[in-house]
Amino acid sequence: MDWILDFYNYRVVEQYLPEFLRGLGWTVWISLISLVISLTIGTITALMRRSANPLLWRPAAAYVQMIRSTPLLIQIYLIYFILPTLPLLDRRLDELESGIVALGLNAGAYMCEIIRAGIESVPQGQIEGAQSVGMTRFQTMRYVVLPQAFARVAPVLMGQTAVLIKDSSLVSFIGVFELFSAGLEVLNERLMPNEAFLTVAAFYLAIYSVMLWLTGRVQRRLGGTAT
Amino acid sequence: MFDIVQSTMPFLLAGLWMTFKISVITIFFGSILGGIIGLLRTLNYRVINIPFGAYIHTLRGTPFLIHLYIVYFVLPQTGIAWLQLDAFTAAVIALSLYTSTYVAEIVRSAIQAVPRGQSEAARSTGMNALQAMWYVILPQALKLMIPPMGGVYVIIIKGTSIVSVIGITELVRAGEQATQRNPRELMLIYGMTAVLYFAYCYPVLRFAKWAESKYGTVRLPS
Repeated sequence: MDWILDFYNYRVVEQYLPEFLRGLGWTVWISLISLVISLTIGTITALMRRSANPLLWRPAAAYVQMIRSTPLLIQIYLIYFILPTLPLLDRRLDELESGIVALGLNAGAYMCEIIRAGIESVPQGQIEGAQSVGMTRFQTMRYVVLPQAFARVAPVLMGQTAVLIKDSSLVSFIGVFELFSAGLEVLNERLMPNEAFLTVAAFYLAIYSVMLWLTGRVQRRLGGTAT
Repeated sequence: MFDIVQSTMPFLLAGLWMTFKISVITIFFGSILGGIIGLLRTLNYRVINIPFGAYIHTLRGTPFLIHLYIVYFVLPQTGIAWLQLDAFTAAVIALSLYTSTYVAEIVRSAIQAVPRGQSEAARSTGMNALQAMWYVILPQALKLMIPPMGGVYVIIIKGTSIVSVIGITELVRAGEQATQRNPRELMLIYGMTAVLYFAYCYPVLRFAKWAESKYGTVRLPS
C-alpha cells in the first residue's frame, strides 16, 4: 500500500476535504449566478439580433463576435481592471464580482447563439396562430415563441452550462476562491500536486457527470433531440 | 498613448508568434490523435468504444487548466524520465489531448453523416472496407468537418491563453509583462492583447461560417 500513499496520499486529501468542499460550493455558486446573468443577456441579445433595426442587431452581433474571438482569460482581466475605473458605481467591484460578471458576459454570447437558433426553430405557424388570436408581438414572444424555443434548446443550453462550470476555474487567476484555488492551496502548502489536482479533477468530473445525467433526463422529458 | 502602443507592440507581437506556434503545432497533433480516435469509434466495437468514450468523457468533464497542471506537475511525479516535460512540451501535449476530444467527435459524426448508401455502393463495386473509407466516405466527410474544425481551431487559440500560467511567454503573458513595465496602462495593454486575439480568431470564425454556407448543402443530401 505504500506506493499508493507515495503517489496519492489520501490522508492529506482527507485533511483538506473541508477546503475542497468549500471550493466546490463556491464553484457551484459562482456558476449559478453567472448562469442567470448569461441567460438574461443571452435572451435579450438573441431578441436584439433578430430585430430588423440595425441599431439593435449590430451591437448585439458585435458583442457576440467580440466575446467569441477573444479568450475568457483576457475578458476576465479586462473586466477586473476596467470596471473599477468606470465611475458607474460608488464602490469598486471585488474579485468575486468581477469574475462573475466576466463569466456571465462570456457565456452570454454563447447562450445568445443557442437561444437564437431555438427561436428560429419555432415554426412560423405558431407566431401566426398567436397573432390571429389577438396577441401582441410581445405576448407572442413571451407566451408562445420563447417557451418553445427554450424547450427545444434546453439540452444544448445545459451543455453550455457545463462549459461555464469548467470555465469558472479561470476566475482563480484574479484571486477568487473556488474549487481550483483549493487545489492551488494544497499545492502551495504541502507541495503535493498529485493530491491537489487529481482530487480537483475528480470533483469537476463529478459535477460534469451530474450535468450529463440531468441533460439526458431533460432531453427525454422534452422528447427528441434538439440541435 | 501612442508611444505606449509603439513600445509594447513588438513584445505583444512576439507573444502572438508564440501563440501562433503553439496553436499550429497543437491543431496538427490534436487532429491526428482525434482523427484516429474518431475513426476507431465509428467501427462500433465495444472494446474500443468504452475506453475511448471514457477518455473523451474525462477530458471533456474537467477544465483545461487541470489538464495542464496534471501534465506539467503530476506526470513528473510518476518518476518516469521521459515524462519530465518542459513547459512548452507540456503545454502542447495538454492542448493536443484536449483538442483530440473535439476532433474525435467531429470526425465520428461527419463519417456517420455520410449516407449509408455511399458505403454500400462502394462495397458493391468490389472495394474493400478500407478502400470504401478512403475513396468514398472520407472525401465526403472531410468537407463536413471543415466548419466545425474552424471552431476547434478558435478554441485552441483561446486555450493557449491559459498556458501562460506555466511560464510560456505567449500573448497573455507578454501582455502581463508589458503591464509590469507600464502599470498605469493596464487597460490599454490588455485591450491591445484582446485586439490581437480578435485579429487572429475572427478570420477563422468567418472562414468557418463561409465553409458552412459552401459545404452546408453537402450535409443534407436528399
